[in-house]
Amino acid sequence: MTTTLERVGEPDLSDAYRTVSWMVRDRSHSTPDAVSMRNKDFGIWQERTWSDLWEEIVITSHGLLALGVERGDVVSIHSEDRPEWVIVDLAAVAIRAMSTGLYPTNPMAEVQYLVNDSGARVHIAEDQEQVDKMLDAGPDAFPNIKTIIYLEPRGLRSYDDDRLMFWDDFMELGRAHRKEHPGTVAATMAEAQADDIVTLVYTSGTTGPPKGAMLSNENATFAIDNIILAVGRTADDKMPGPHDMVLTYLPLGHVAERIMSTWTMCASGVVLNFAESIETVQINLQEIQPTLFFAVPRIWEKIHATVLIKLNDASRFKRLINGFSYKLAAYIGRSRVKNDGRYTVGSRLAYWIGNPLMFRALKERVGLRRCRWAGTSAAPIAPEVIEFFMGFGVPMVELYGMTENAAVATLNFHDRNKVGTVGEPYPGIGLRLDEETGEIQTKHDGNFIGYWNKPEETAETFTDDGWLKTGDVGVWVDGTHLKIIDRIKHIIITSGGKNISPSEIENSLKTSPFIKEAMVIGDGRKYLTALVAIEYDVVGNWALSKRIPYTTYRDLSEKPEVIELVQGIVTETNGKFATVEQIKKFRMIPKELDHEDGELTATQKIKRKTMERTYHDAIAEMYGT
Amino acid sequence: MRTRPRLYVSYSSEMALLPTWTQKIAALAFLAFLVIVPFGVIPGLGFLSDNDWLKLLSRVAIFAIGALGLHILSGLAGQVSLGQAFFVGIGAYTAAVLGGEVGKSTWGLGLPIWIWLPAAGIVAALVGALIAPTAVRVRGIYLAIVTLGLVFFGEWIFRSTPFITGGAQAGREFPSLQFRFWKEEVPFLDFTTDGSWFGISVTSEAKTYLLLLIFVIMAVIITKNIQRTRTGRAFMAIRDRDIAAEVMGVAEAKNKLIAFALSSGFAGLTGAILGAFVGRLVPEGFSLFMSIQFVAILLIGGIGTVSGALLGSAFVILLPRIVQDFTGFLASVAESGSGFFSWFAGIFVSTGIDDPGIVSTLPGTSPGLNIGQFNLFLYGLLLIGFLIFEPLGLYGIWIRVRNYWKSWPFTY
Repeated sequence: MTTTLERVGEPDLSDAYRTVSWMVRDRSHSTPDAVSMRNKDFGIWQERTWSDLWEEIVITSHGLLALGVERGDVVSIHSEDRPEWVIVDLAAVAIRAMSTGLYPTNPMAEVQYLVNDSGARVHIAEDQEQVDKMLDAGPDAFPNIKTIIYLEPRGLRSYDDDRLMFWDDFMELGRAHRKEHPGTVAATMAEAQADDIVTLVYTSGTTGPPKGAMLSNENATFAIDNIILAVGRTADDKMPGPHDMVLTYLPLGHVAERIMSTWTMCASGVVLNFAESIETVQINLQEIQPTLFFAVPRIWEKIHATVLIKLNDASRFKRLINGFSYKLAAYIGRSRVKNDGRYTVGSRLAYWIGNPLMFRALKERVGLRRCRWAGTSAAPIAPEVIEFFMGFGVPMVELYGMTENAAVATLNFHDRNKVGTVGEPYPGIGLRLDEETGEIQTKHDGNFIGYWNKPEETAETFTDDGWLKTGDVGVWVDGTHLKIIDRIKHIIITSGGKNISPSEIENSLKTSPFIKEAMVIGDGRKYLTALVAIEYDVVGNWALSKRIPYTTYRDLSEKPEVIELVQGIVTETNGKFATVEQIKKFRMIPKELDHEDGELTATQKIKRKTMERTYHDAIAEMYGT
Repeated sequence: MRTRPRLYVSYSSEMALLPTWTQKIAALAFLAFLVIVPFGVIPGLGFLSDNDWLKLLSRVAIFAIGALGLHILSGLAGQVSLGQAFFVGIGAYTAAVLGGEVGKSTWGLGLPIWIWLPAAGIVAALVGALIAPTAVRVRGIYLAIVTLGLVFFGEWIFRSTPFITGGAQAGREFPSLQFRFWKEEVPFLDFTTDGSWFGISVTSEAKTYLLLLIFVIMAVIITKNIQRTRTGRAFMAIRDRDIAAEVMGVAEAKNKLIAFALSSGFAGLTGAILGAFVGRLVPEGFSLFMSIQFVAILLIGGIGTVSGALLGSAFVILLPRIVQDFTGFLASVAESGSGFFSWFAGIFVSTGIDDPGIVSTLPGTSPGLNIGQFNLFLYGLLLIGFLIFEPLGLYGIWIRVRNYWKSWPFTY
């Protein structure tokens, strides 16, 4: 497939707003045969060039127009990450409509809420599972939905519902529409405005129902200019470009993956590689060896735990070398943390010894060998984890932002990286701490337009003078870097009147490979307690090696030996904190927490209210009431 | 991709014979090494250019071709066969009749090599295809017995057709490795006499060795390519689970037949080349022992891999010679030396009537096994040892060494 664009008679786009779709169109002209995307199909990474991609986007845009999608309409996408996700997303932008993404794990009730709240007209459902979530809700559950497009036909051939349409048929529709109305898409693109909404990003909703944050073209541009094209972001000071590889695996509906994948691709031409699924991320990482890698703390903790366990399980000679190299890495990590991420002569020297000996091989195994920027955000992370990766030479930094400000707030630049902080505000943006509460507030072109159909909530999010309230409490470190204490509503005030940040303690607990989740409790109480969930396979292996028989997750959690193991970790963690911040008692969570059971949000964050309700008895027991 | 060896963007790159540059260079270097062997310029390995060593290496090459054939049948398609010797015999006698000279009581058409060599392969393949329908009906141990029957059947036929085979104990002459256009007197390419190529003098042994090296390389490339075709994948599917393969649409009978034919064809070529190389063979040579040798090659080398078949051939053919040299060396140590090593050598070899030992250097007069017996003994020991401790053979050992470094710094 080469460019079959109808360039003749195309309207002049020089005055139009340069949307993300526009950027793809530019690349399809300047580098039509360069690779834009890869997705693994039948064991092979199938490639799409820029002209292939643009061709599909144009056809999809025509298809959406043919289905009656108009300016300002919403297209909802309920799918794992795959090329079609990005194609529909960009096609919607091209015709001045907007997309909203659902998480594949969203249960039926949430799907119903999100689709209806957004008022989507066309819904993209990946496969039978997601289609069922729509159809099982009943024929009148979605008054606005006209068409449900499915991507995987398996199991759906016998379905009989007028709204259903297979992707291939949809593309046919688009081709037919283009033949009849050539140039419509380009004409619509030419009319794009800065305040056109490009996407609704639903907040995770740890409290109350999710709200759709409206992000505009201008917000997207601001995020691109500040985050993606930030000067001094990567370890080699080079801008992202066509030689960079990105692994796309976090939910694309989330603002972080949208920026790190879709918008990075549009703005700088990096190659997107779609992971097969979340289970294969580790293997796909090894294959792709991404140069720009973004992950949430949960993933970093998982890699950290895997590395620690595998290093420990290595054979005798390897353990000997590993032990030595690990000491080098620990020294390098400490030294780099002390020197704001920079190498000293000593740590550079140690790196030269350790790298050929073990670091390089280790990074290759993990898939971070060619990484020149590794980011963590979206949730708090323990500084130990960052220090660990820095020790092996992974250029890892923490950054901070939220959906409502297009994720533009702070970033650790690679040579001014203060571990434990979320970095410095991007140059020239408005960022301040509220004098009274210490709340972080931002004011810049990335600030969102508002919540979809929720003017009251929107008004509550802004201060009277127009600053966005992030809901996070922060402090300045050395006058330049920002350190997040916690979410305002998470901060625990004990009955003794002490302010305590639970996330710091929880993350410290989670650096142990044995612990998957921890929730610290103590608001209005005399002392702190915690609910702890173990990492099933790690503790399972540990139990196996200790010859402790167990049957289920619950059984394993409640073994006295396991409780003793967790007690050891808790005691060790307590050593790092002041007396009031120490955990006096803990209870095991007897099941693996799950999105569908309402204990976690779609982004795997704990819903504290639900947890406190569900484990009310266990908590009451710890406080002897 | 070059900097990302595990990122495959097309099936052809995933199936490449030598996917990485390291592998390409290593393969080329090994090839260059094999080519310069007969010129005796490799420091420390100069003895390999001796005529008796070159003959041994040539024999390795010949057996490697037959072993590759069995690899297709047993290693890829998973069909046990003890009948390889029978097909080697078919090939040998096809070559003898077509290419050999008329003897006192034997047939011979005296046709040139470009007829008798391919014909040997084709006839053996056809016989294989003829027998296959019977063989595909049985599995496992029954198939082993059916193919075992072939060997005895073949031996009987070879012995009772003296006009073809020259008869028991006597044998017949085989065509020689000479290339003629037709039946002219002087061959345009002669591998049976010394000569000079490009100004370098080469012995007939060196010439033969190089010719056989080319044959083996061709056989390797053909086998490797069969492995990555639809047919090769069908073989492996049948090997892994025949019923599942058939459910997936792999025609079991057809593919087993192809495997038999290919394997027999390779065996036939081996027979023709072996005959031409040795010059004279007796029909008793194509016996169960030869079949077992092929099976041993696969098992010791590593079943299911081309490298295994090659390693196994080298090991099985060179082992007797190495044992012999080593025994001789031990005998000399035992007689002259002192210290622990000579004490050990004294126990191992027996040099006189009163000297007990495992191996006797004076068969008949001193106790112990002679070298031939000892070799058989060692064979059995190795087969049992490999089956129990290293089912993937020599190649399995290599895999383990490679994985040790590949998984660095982890163990899994």
